[in-house]
Amino acid sequence: MTGSNSERSGERNDPPGGESLIRVRGLTRDYRLIKKREGVAGGLIDLVRPRKHTLRAVDDVSFDIAPGEMVGYIGANGAGKSTTIKMLTGILTPTAGEVSVGGLVPWKKRQQYTRNVGVVFGQRTQLWWDLAVVESFGLLKKIYEVPDDVFAAQMKTFNDLLSIDEFLHQPVRKLSLGQRMRCDLAAALLHRPRVLFLDEPTIGLDVVGKENVREFLREIRDRAGVTVILTTHDLGDIEKLCRRVIIIDKGKVHFDGDLEALRLRTGSPVRLSVELRDPVASARLAEVTAQLPVRWQEAEGLQHVAEFRRQDVSGAQVIETLVNGCKVSDLHLAEPAIDEIVASIYRDPGKESE
Amino acid sequence: MRSGEAVALRPWRRTALATVGLYGHFIRLAFLKFLAYRLRYYTGVISYTIFVAGHYYLYGALFASRMSETGLEKIGGLTLQEMITYVAVSWIGRSFYFNNIHRDLSRMIEDGSISLQLIKPYHVQNVMMFEAVGEAGFRLIMFSLPIMVVVVPVFGIQAPPDPLLLLWTFVSFCLALVIYSQFNFLIGLLAFYLKNIQGVMRAKMVAFDFLTGVILPFSFFPEWFQTVVSWLPFQYISYVPVTIYLGKRSGDALAEALVLQLAWAVGLWLTARWLYAFSVRRVTVQGG
Repeated sequence: MTGSNSERSGERNDPPGGESLIRVRGLTRDYRLIKKREGVAGGLIDLVRPRKHTLRAVDDVSFDIAPGEMVGYIGANGAGKSTTIKMLTGILTPTAGEVSVGGLVPWKKRQQYTRNVGVVFGQRTQLWWDLAVVESFGLLKKIYEVPDDVFAAQMKTFNDLLSIDEFLHQPVRKLSLGQRMRCDLAAALLHRPRVLFLDEPTIGLDVVGKENVREFLREIRDRAGVTVILTTHDLGDIEKLCRRVIIIDKGKVHFDGDLEALRLRTGSPVRLSVELRDPVASARLAEVTAQLPVRWQEAEGLQHVAEFRRQDVSGAQVIETLVNGCKVSDLHLAEPAIDEIVASIYRDPGKESE
Repeated sequence: MRSGEAVALRPWRRTALATVGLYGHFIRLAFLKFLAYRLRYYTGVISYTIFVAGHYYLYGALFASRMSETGLEKIGGLTLQEMITYVAVSWIGRSFYFNNIHRDLSRMIEDGSISLQLIKPYHVQNVMMFEAVGEAGFRLIMFSLPIMVVVVPVFGIQAPPDPLLLLWTFVSFCLALVIYSQFNFLIGLLAFYLKNIQGVMRAKMVAFDFLTGVILPFSFFPEWFQTVVSWLPFQYISYVPVTIYLGKRSGDALAEALVLQLAWAVGLWLTARWLYAFSVRRVTVQGG
């Protein structure tokens, strides 16, 4: 396969349902930066004639997202994911390209647009620092004109799923990070937005905190059918929540498709751990699977590990051959971890699957 | 591909009633917030009183020496009693309209949290203005009135020649609050363009105290300076309301002063509105 294989960006523009809620075409954003010269003399020259250069943070990004989809938008620091989210939420105006979310352009008619979306920035709270949590919700109710019955129903849902009633009367500044994040999620969803943007929703949380947030998001996805775009460093979030991922690097979309397709495409090996009844050398096992593209790690004894690629051979075929060829007591098939896959994309962006 | 009916977001507009309700809520919340920090304002009552006392003795000495040297009892068109009243009323007014919108806004711009204001269906300029109204309400009750109670009897502050002027002075100080707040908002917006606006804010403090007439009445300054400030909006923050109190403007002059004040309030509001929209479009919001 060459670089323009079927899973490359740009070709998965039509979502499965046909209708898209979020439509992004050729989205591009440049930043003008000043490159500082060194030393006193350099500083003086900078005053008169600064060296300006342009950094393209987001470069010709296109995708469509169908109603109800939960999409993971991932990339390293500085890959352009926050810039994309800022444009999708209307905070930044793009240098070029278009965005339409349900027929609205995010950075135009901001009040109309923001009424329909929810946003969570993991790095900062949107609640009023000095107010008790319950006062913040009261204010949001007014801001978004949430009717009383909807407000009551939403608060009940949040209590059930996030137990926010435990700290409803505390000021936000006294909450722990995990509690604050739960409140921020609830605040973003209070007005029942159709679209939810989550920028690093689990950043800085401990294991329990992360699990709480993921659990909640899964519930929301299944119950409310809200469309979610989620950026994260933590690929555990993606694995637990999203079927579809978009990987961005240096401002460009590197991959847009199913998590499964991503596993296939990168060709990271699947690992088959085998426990035998009788000790043998790995060379003996290699003979058994000689017909298949399988590689055995050098070992003696009962425990062995084989590696193979999904696109070369199916797991079932390997296991069948193995079980027919020798006495196996136990088997374990391990998929490559998603972060390994993403790391491999970053290491070698030019070379897609060979 | 067209976005079909089924996936269109619903257009939405806040009704006038809801708008009043929302911004009224911001006034209430700001009032409550300052009430929670009220302790720090008790000391303020004392320091304002000391400040007026200082001026009382300073001008007392100044007018006495003028009297003994020249036999004149007025300086810059004001008697000693008018002078003391001028100082007291301007500082009582200042304790009412004062706020730190410029500092709060510049902080939001510097740390990037202004972006959170852009994803809410309201306008941050309105929010900050109405919070300032809430703060002013708090200041009026906890600050201006207590200072009045102390200062007026102690230093023998004159009542206005016509009791109705008290009302017009208050109206004028309310318009001053709008002008002062919008000035502060504009200065805060400079943080979009400057790396550090501490210097600007300090310069603003000093310049305002002069240009608004809080430190000295304009009649103390040279002719050309008076001409310049008469064309600037700063006088409407302090000089104009205080001269209304002193009865220096009546009839048409009073009406004209209030109309011009209102015009400046609206003009500055619109300027700030425009500069905000322009800055947000043009300038990168820092941080995530």
